[in-house]
Amino acid sequence: MMKTPTQSAWQALRNRRGFLHDVYTGLAGVGLTALLRQEGLADGPRTWEPGFGQTHHLPKASRVLQIFCPGAASHMDLWEHKPGLDQWHGKPLPGEEAFLSFQGKNGNLMRSPWPFVARGQSGKKISSMLPYMARHVDDIAFFHGMHSKTNTHGPGCVFMNTGHPTEGFPSTGAWMSYALGSANENLPTYVAIPDVRGEPPNGKANWSNGFLPARHQAILMSAQQPIRNLSRPGVVSASEEQRTRSLIEFLNQQHAEDRSGDSALQARMAAYELAARMQLSAPEVSDLSREPDSVRKLYGVGDSNTLKDGYAQNCILARRLLERGVRYVNLYCASRASGVDGLLNWDAHKTLKSDYERHCPIFDQPTAALLTDLKQRGMLDDTLVLWTTEFGRMPTHQEGTSGRDHNPDGFTCWMAGAGVKGGMSYGATDQFGRRAAINPTTVWDFYGTVLHLLGFDHERLSYYYNGFDRRLTDVHGGVVRDVLA
Amino acid sequence: MKHSLNQWLQKVTLHRLMPSSCRILPCVLLFGVTVHADESKLFLEKVAPILETHCLRCHYPGNEEGDVSLATPDDLRDGGYLDVRNGDQSHLLDLVEPVRAGKKPEMPEDGDPLSSEQVGVLRKWVVQGALWPEGKVLKEASQADASWWAFQALKEVSVPGVTKAPVSWKRNPVDAFIFEELQNQHLSPSVPTSRRQLIRRLCFDLTGLPPSVEQVKRFVGDPSPDAYEHLVDRLLASPHYGERWGRHWLDVIRFGESRGFERNEIIRNAWPFRDYVIRSFNQDKPLSRLIKEHLAGDQLGPNQPDVEIGTTFLVCGPYDDVGNQDPAQAAQIRANTIDEMIRASSEAFLGLTVGCARCHHHKFDPISQEDYYRWYATFAGVRHGSREIASNAEREQRKRMMEPLDAERNGLAKERERLEIVILKRAEMKKDLFAESWTRDPIKRTGVEERFEKRLAKYVRLIVEGTESNPYASSGYGIDEFEVWTPGKAGQNVASLALGGSAKGASRIAEDFVKAYSAQLTIDGEYGARWIARGSELSITLSRPTEIDRIYFSSDRGGDAGNQPVANFVSEYRLEVSSDGEQWEKVADSHDRQPVNEAHRKWRWMMMEQTSEERQQLKGLDLAIARLDRERKDVPELPRWWAGNFTGIEESTYVFIGGNPQRKGKEVVSASLSAFDTSFEGYRLDPGAAEGKRRLALANWLVSSENPLTPRVWVNRIWQKHFGQGLVSTPSDFGVMGSQPSHADLLDWLAGQLLDNGWRMKPLHKLLVMSQAYRQSSTFRADAARADADSRFLWRFPPRRLSAEEIRDSMLKVSGVLKLEMGGAGFKLYRYLQDNVATYQPLDHHGSETYRRGIYHHNARAAIVDLMTEFDCPDPAFPAPRRASTTTPLQALTLLNHSFTLDMAKALSNQLDQDSAGDEERWVTLAYSRSYGRNPTESELQKALAFKADLGGVLFCRALFNSNEFIHID
Repeated sequence: MMKTPTQSAWQALRNRRGFLHDVYTGLAGVGLTALLRQEGLADGPRTWEPGFGQTHHLPKASRVLQIFCPGAASHMDLWEHKPGLDQWHGKPLPGEEAFLSFQGKNGNLMRSPWPFVARGQSGKKISSMLPYMARHVDDIAFFHGMHSKTNTHGPGCVFMNTGHPTEGFPSTGAWMSYALGSANENLPTYVAIPDVRGEPPNGKANWSNGFLPARHQAILMSAQQPIRNLSRPGVVSASEEQRTRSLIEFLNQQHAEDRSGDSALQARMAAYELAARMQLSAPEVSDLSREPDSVRKLYGVGDSNTLKDGYAQNCILARRLLERGVRYVNLYCASRASGVDGLLNWDAHKTLKSDYERHCPIFDQPTAALLTDLKQRGMLDDTLVLWTTEFGRMPTHQEGTSGRDHNPDGFTCWMAGAGVKGGMSYGATDQFGRRAAINPTTVWDFYGTVLHLLGFDHERLSYYYNGFDRRLTDVHGGVVRDVLA
Repeated sequence: MKHSLNQWLQKVTLHRLMPSSCRILPCVLLFGVTVHADESKLFLEKVAPILETHCLRCHYPGNEEGDVSLATPDDLRDGGYLDVRNGDQSHLLDLVEPVRAGKKPEMPEDGDPLSSEQVGVLRKWVVQGALWPEGKVLKEASQADASWWAFQALKEVSVPGVTKAPVSWKRNPVDAFIFEELQNQHLSPSVPTSRRQLIRRLCFDLTGLPPSVEQVKRFVGDPSPDAYEHLVDRLLASPHYGERWGRHWLDVIRFGESRGFERNEIIRNAWPFRDYVIRSFNQDKPLSRLIKEHLAGDQLGPNQPDVEIGTTFLVCGPYDDVGNQDPAQAAQIRANTIDEMIRASSEAFLGLTVGCARCHHHKFDPISQEDYYRWYATFAGVRHGSREIASNAEREQRKRMMEPLDAERNGLAKERERLEIVILKRAEMKKDLFAESWTRDPIKRTGVEERFEKRLAKYVRLIVEGTESNPYASSGYGIDEFEVWTPGKAGQNVASLALGGSAKGASRIAEDFVKAYSAQLTIDGEYGARWIARGSELSITLSRPTEIDRIYFSSDRGGDAGNQPVANFVSEYRLEVSSDGEQWEKVADSHDRQPVNEAHRKWRWMMMEQTSEERQQLKGLDLAIARLDRERKDVPELPRWWAGNFTGIEESTYVFIGGNPQRKGKEVVSASLSAFDTSFEGYRLDPGAAEGKRRLALANWLVSSENPLTPRVWVNRIWQKHFGQGLVSTPSDFGVMGSQPSHADLLDWLAGQLLDNGWRMKPLHKLLVMSQAYRQSSTFRADAARADADSRFLWRFPPRRLSAEEIRDSMLKVSGVLKLEMGGAGFKLYRYLQDNVATYQPLDHHGSETYRRGIYHHNARAAIVDLMTEFDCPDPAFPAPRRASTTTPLQALTLLNHSFTLDMAKALSNQLDQDSAGDEERWVTLAYSRSYGRNPTESELQKALAFKADLGGVLFCRALFNSNEFIHID
């Protein structure tokens, strides 16, 4: 057994209250905060400072699950019923007959290939392609009036994750890690779970720390892919590892003897101890065999569709991570643009029907099960669930195809859980789904609301970088109060 | 910094409250009646500041958001924002008041809503008649104006006399400045550090590498007083100096070797720029020259590769190359690309965030939106991409070699074409005859059925002889489902995965998701996703020999792809079966089907009509063309490098209102920043000025001897890298949001030195590292730390953790495996995958081809690289004027567990085995001196001997690499 924490390193920290603060903020992202608090060492500062688990106001949510369907999942084929499309099917889109979208010319208006059905007490109409998700409409607040700045996937995904359409800015999870620090010293604060089909458009920029310190970037893991470099090299035995760690500790103590004031050295010693704990905790959290069969079945684990099976496993992993104090999980269902539009993600340019008949069954049951499971465990009370995509699709079909082109002017995202009013729809696109028409909502409004639920004023949560106090919501955004419970 | 900001705010406010001339201004009541001047007090003192602070950001002349400018009363009046009769009902008030409690009012759209007090002021003003003094034009005040310290000319500074300083601190002017400030802060400097620590500090600082055991020994044992100076000179002359300081510069200018954004394709030919930077630093090229080459190398040295390559600077940032048919979006993307260049240039050279003036005037610094678009006009002709960079002689030579080959090839190609036409013409005469043999329906994408006499089979194969889109190709087609049926009504598809079938066939590769296009998709029972073939054969194996009589396959079973290329199908095929996998029997082919399209029909005609003589002739021509193509390929290509591509500028440049390219404001021309116009000579070019002249004018202006910012920013960067922190701690932001200099006089004095030295860096390096401030100990002193925790005033030399590159380079060097070869294409610590878009996968093992210095790593964007990423090597999405130095458990995991550490540990251990020849104490002593530059203490020695005896040398070395001492320097 390891001794945790090692007496020496902690003792050193205790003895150096004057410099505690440096170490403290230095390690906030890696979990020392919570540990120090447990030990009664840290009360945190009085005024709000990032990394101490403090918020601006009383939060409703203490963790976030963000499900991302990359490729621009069609709002009018999944979430927002547009009877106008049935009525006007085959006719040109009035006023935009010659509109050139991302891939060029468009044909006439095209109805959704699937009927919508009213579900739940709210009577919310939802695509019949999502029978499992339909059971949750009463828990969900739909944002039907979303609009984006860009019609390109990479910038769109990055915009949806960081509030900026160019890469290099911190993602929402990184902001949360920065703002709150860690809630579990043995696991990362922010985890991104990529799909078995690969990374989303613009890859790692979606879970980047941007200009925030590196510790705030997401740790990448999935049911198929453990955290990198987690286990010791195969040639090193457990006891050898133990003695190596003691030797490192000895070397560091010798070195620190005449450098007693330099907190960075102690911080690094503590980081080695935290790494050792992570080596124990992470395999446990990833071990899905610990889940009862009933749970695995609920999610669809073991489905003959291996893509669904893979996503279902990742959904369970997401819940297990959240349960154990991971603050932000960014879970992907689908991946990047491939050689064939709409093959690996929701980008149905050419053949909407057959594309979504592949994607919906992968997404539907596992996602719904995740909501059910969180609810049953009481976790939905303080877990904020977000469903996002980078933008919407055109109400017309793309010329010469039966698919839809990109449409940044109107799309749907939704929220459920902590502090969110369920069974409601906020905003709407016009009668065809072309543009956000009622209560148009920006990505910044969406995250202004998310931060509000997390206990933060989005205009005050900022970080200086090159000339500016940068924010997740840039210089925009508000709080959509209509969706607050 | 807060202090200065408050001072500023005070100044601005005072300025607003006491406009000396206002009292005598005649006023207009918006609706016609002239009033007395003192009635305008409310407007001038209360209303104007509200409008200036909260509204003018977006509503000013040249940037009339919503077509409203609030600089003058005209738009308020004309737009009906004020109600003449019922002032209280004015629309202006509706806009700034919340519709209901808790809801954000419509205006200001960005930023905080007005306080109820402010709304009250507006209401009072409107009710009283909305007085606006005649001729009063409001202007949004940035927090700073041209009097901001950083915009002032360099001060003539004399070196302070420091009588109280120790003798050693009186020799170097730098020390005098430092000592004076220490005195002001009631701090005292530290004693000189030990030679052992000093050489380690200096070697890392100047070359990024640890000193060798011999170097340390020699220096520590050298009694001569100028031993240190000699060491400094040697290191500054070392080629590794350029590798170290070039890396710093590449950080600042966001040099990355992939395109970024969604496609993020790797850039394989940007490394010549990296080498150029290293070379330039090693040559101590004047920085003024370097800056000019970066911005306008093509103008300074056209056809001189070594000069033109400087322009890679312009295009080594990320940019969106996905392509967009939506013209508005395409214009936005282009504007973003130019914006990236403006930001990179202004931050790197001037330490100014000009990019913040894209949508409106800079909020803090005196940079107007017009200024931004003056730079936009400057970069408007720059495009990303590769181009040939060669001397005229090289171009001529290649042309001479290529011309005859091209001519011959074109002649043969024409001949071939003519022959084909002759054959096709003959065939057309017999078309009915040919068609007679095509008795069956053409192939359909939704499904092709072949029935045959039932027979036993275990293996079935489809052999493709042509595809729809290209009858000559037997690859590149798609199949979504392939079924093999047993006879009868209750027949089963025995090819299906569910019944134990398996499918094989070469496919398009997606290495990050191997199933993406695989042959398995043909038997998964799902339609829509297709096998994309990269070969002519699909082989199906049944679970056991089975009687079959029907095959059915398709590329678009659902039928929703129509004629789209995405479902490109086969045009010509054979189907064969076998029971043993050796003897094959054909059961069907497409030869009697009607052709699927015109190209297919012609292909058939060609095959059927050509005589054997013609066949020979065509074959001969094909061979000759192929031979010529090889020869053409063998002619050495001109170097194609990633560098600035320049196109003429057809269009005028306009201010984009609110940053939106669709909303053009006033026309602007390429010109210098207006805030400097009064302090030194700027420039303003003609609207039609040639593209290259614009960049050259900017470059000349930046390095004008009167431009105070460029030298200040440079010397500050140099200082920052030597002492861990800049005199201005925000090295790319000398504006209001940046920090104030800790030693303002020293900064200006050093900037003057840089100019006196002809913009050369090495004399400045020497000056700094020769100082006592640099040579003092880093030992912690609690009393001093209480006053100055991060040693900004240099009461000690600030210790630091090594950078990612230094850590990796050190591991390689102490293990004796570092390859010091310089330049050329970089190595990769990831696997590069490309399937439409790029993916960068980290590698579990790093081969010895990667044992080069970190600066030669091919730094792609959005690539996580083991060790480098964890130790804060920045993603070049943005400039990184400062490196973070974080501490995380992930660093521990990587350094402990990645195979690279173990490989290095083995190499070091082997090296020590050789050098110690069985002497265990010597082994440990050498391990310490190689890794830490010192000998072990007695207790360390004993501990090490015991550990090594039990666990071996490799694990001991692994522990050394993980220790704090290895990656921290004093």
